[in-house]
Amino acid sequence: MTAPLLATTIASPSFWAFVGVVAGIYTIFALGLQLQFGFTGLLNFGHVAFMAISAYTMAILIVKVEAPMWAAAPAGIAVAMVFGLLIGLPTLRLRADYLAITTIAFGEIVRYVALNQDGLTGGPIGTINLKGSGTSASYNGDWLAFQGKVQHALETVFGDMGKDTAMLAIVWTVAIALIVAMQVLVKAPWGRVLRSIREDEDAASSLGKNVFAYKLQALALGAALAAVAGLFFAFQFSFFSPQDFDPLTTFFGYIIVILAGTARNWAVPVGAVIFGVIFAGTRFFEFPPFTYFGSADRAYLRLIVVGLILIGLMAFRPQGLLGKREEMVLE
Amino acid sequence: MSELAQLLANGLVTGSIIAIAAIGLTLVYGILGIVNFAHGEYLAFGAFIAFAVNVTLGWPIAGSIVFAMVATAMLGLGLEYGLWRPLRRRGAKVVALLLVSIGLALVLRHVIFLVWGATPRRFDVDVFQVYDLGGVIRLSLTQITAVSIAFAAILLVGLTLARTKLGKSMRAYSDNSALASVSGIDVDRITAYTWVLGAGLAGLGGVLLGLVQGSFNPNMGFTLLLPIFAAVILGGVGSAYGSLVGGVGLGLAMELSTWNALAGGVDPVYKPVVAFAILILALLVRPQGLFGKARYV
Amino acid sequence: MSSSGPILKVSRVEKHFGGIAAVDGATLDVARGSITALIGPNGAGKTTLFNVVSGFYRPERGEILFEGERIDRRSPHSIAQRGLVRTFQITKALTKMTVLENVMLAARNQPGEHLWQIVLRPGSARRREREVAERARELLRFVHLERLADDYAGTLSGGQRKLLEFARALMTEPRMVLLDEPMAGVNPTLGLELLERMKALQVDLGMTFLLIEHDMEVVMSVSERVIVMNEGRVIADGPPGEVQRDQRVIDAYLGTGAAAAAGGMGR
Repeated sequence: MTAPLLATTIASPSFWAFVGVVAGIYTIFALGLQLQFGFTGLLNFGHVAFMAISAYTMAILIVKVEAPMWAAAPAGIAVAMVFGLLIGLPTLRLRADYLAITTIAFGEIVRYVALNQDGLTGGPIGTINLKGSGTSASYNGDWLAFQGKVQHALETVFGDMGKDTAMLAIVWTVAIALIVAMQVLVKAPWGRVLRSIREDEDAASSLGKNVFAYKLQALALGAALAAVAGLFFAFQFSFFSPQDFDPLTTFFGYIIVILAGTARNWAVPVGAVIFGVIFAGTRFFEFPPFTYFGSADRAYLRLIVVGLILIGLMAFRPQGLLGKREEMVLE
Repeated sequence: MSELAQLLANGLVTGSIIAIAAIGLTLVYGILGIVNFAHGEYLAFGAFIAFAVNVTLGWPIAGSIVFAMVATAMLGLGLEYGLWRPLRRRGAKVVALLLVSIGLALVLRHVIFLVWGATPRRFDVDVFQVYDLGGVIRLSLTQITAVSIAFAAILLVGLTLARTKLGKSMRAYSDNSALASVSGIDVDRITAYTWVLGAGLAGLGGVLLGLVQGSFNPNMGFTLLLPIFAAVILGGVGSAYGSLVGGVGLGLAMELSTWNALAGGVDPVYKPVVAFAILILALLVRPQGLFGKARYV
Repeated sequence: MSSSGPILKVSRVEKHFGGIAAVDGATLDVARGSITALIGPNGAGKTTLFNVVSGFYRPERGEILFEGERIDRRSPHSIAQRGLVRTFQITKALTKMTVLENVMLAARNQPGEHLWQIVLRPGSARRREREVAERARELLRFVHLERLADDYAGTLSGGQRKLLEFARALMTEPRMVLLDEPMAGVNPTLGLELLERMKALQVDLGMTFLLIEHDMEVVMSVSERVIVMNEGRVIADGPPGEVQRDQRVIDAYLGTGAAAAAGGMGR
């Protein structure tokens, strides 16, 4: 995800509200990976595609079909889930490493289609081009109205606040509700079956568990979570383009899950906030060695740091900050 | 007819580069169990080292290619001793190593960005010299050079793997590491040579890719990584010959898919998609790869 | 019909690996409510046959009937759901789960394993979970692992894992259990007790057992019938006393140099 340049500083509350919103979106996104990878052991490297599919489906339905947002958004989630099932059918019987490669290929196919089917997606320029060149398309009218209402309601209770704060409240309310829901599911016997599959598929199927069906459910449900993240992403940035959905975003999701600890739902927001601060915060570090670098170079430096964190975690603390070593499964 | 011949020629150019990169990836995958998502960055590293000596220092391209290969082989060897070996000693398995390789890819790619920036770069070669072969195929001198070097390298590697003791033990180890390690093969030596060969070929592949593309940026390796993986899986993981066939086959398929006679052909921008689609289809039919062996439960 | 005939019928089953026939036309019946032993020298194809019967390998030829129904094209989970469950020679204890969770996982009819039921009938999932926990603790007492119920299964010894797998298999409420070397690494006193429990389950519930076992003393004392495999085929089949005098069986064991096993049989 590329954040637009902000004319703010590290001290500004609206900057931190922005970091908070992005961390919330990443929390929802990574929660889906936690279900697929953390609990079920599925190495899904095409997670970002589900985000892209829901965001595009919604934007296209609103702009081209003039569907109301409250219908287009659920449709986005549904289409993402259908794609989850479609990609799962041929790939979920594959070994972990083959699954990783085929899913990343799937994600890239989605991005290529978004990039090249200008008529459908607006092409490389993004959703602003959904009505063709000359007119700028927008899909978030309904959403802004809703966000305004939330802001108004909150202001009657808490006093003045910005529209960023309203967005922050909405995103985190949804994020926490989804964490609770996921926690209910994985604490149920359903989650026990997922964990057994993660460790040993043959053991699970020898006890009568339909391993394939459970994997499919985990993939589709995780896709739905990515889809929700995709909707919020679309609302937050008011337009988006295919480059927002490159494989890097999926890898960021993995770093959050691993940083937090696998098979730990409540750790995901902690991982997302830490990641958000590292990622957004380094933009504003005004001391050496950061001051030696220009802003483009700092972007590279940030990604180098992120890569080093992933390597360091895998080498020294593969269970993450809040995970339990005894429960960690990494083949 | 001439369109078909041209597409075949282009397919051989692309395919030979994919094949060269895929050999290194499949040997590392088969022998060391590392699904190396940083392999594309090894290609980019090779290309940019060659750029540095060719353009910045003014070396001729031939010398630059050799230098880049040696430098990339050294990078591969250095990372083996500094990163992979310590991780394996700590008991890291396939998925853990795979995630590390993603971290490594991020580090390498952005170090290259940091040093050379995002501007597209070109080698100091004559790209305007184009040859008309028999009036049907037009290839630039750089394309002809690249494909000749690629096939010479493929032949050399094929001979090394087939004839030399080292090559034979590498293939044996890649096919069945448990069996090979009890049959007295020196594992440390095999590992070192695997990286020298695999990374060196990646470096070469990167330079050749830069040559045939004309211009390149640090994302070049990652862009080609998925077709390379597709070639490895089509060929069966660990099989050097399989990935050769897989690579050239994919290169041809990607180019031929755009042939007009095939219901107009697919839009050239979707060439990578053709590679992914072939990969997914192939895995449906034969989950162990076209040339791979069935797996025991 | 199906309640009187053999519970398991294997006919002319073949399974090859790269040109080598691991199971080469094996044919055998297992009588309902019996304890049958499957023996044979190493590499005779016993474990491969278990893998074929339990659906982990698909045979190239032959057919397998369980309770009169073809199961040779079915997947492992659907065979297990039909009441034919197996344990593994190299145990598959789920080491990152507790001992109790391992056993609870095996329960059938748990609505909490289905997404919709968790949402629509949370109460019934919880009720069933209480029953399952109780039954799982009972089975753990049965195999003397109740003290370790809350430990990770990864901390168990090899023998304890065998016992855990046995308890887990029983938790599925099976009609027939395939046991692959259930005594390996289990301490002898406990092993004897396990055999008694197996007999009790056979007598009380009519449960059927087919076990691969190398200890001939165990085989002779517990099983009413012995099936001998060699080189992928069944070479002898009958009561223990008869089989141990069979010349083909003695030859098979001597031929592979497993004199100790043959010596055990001659006793």
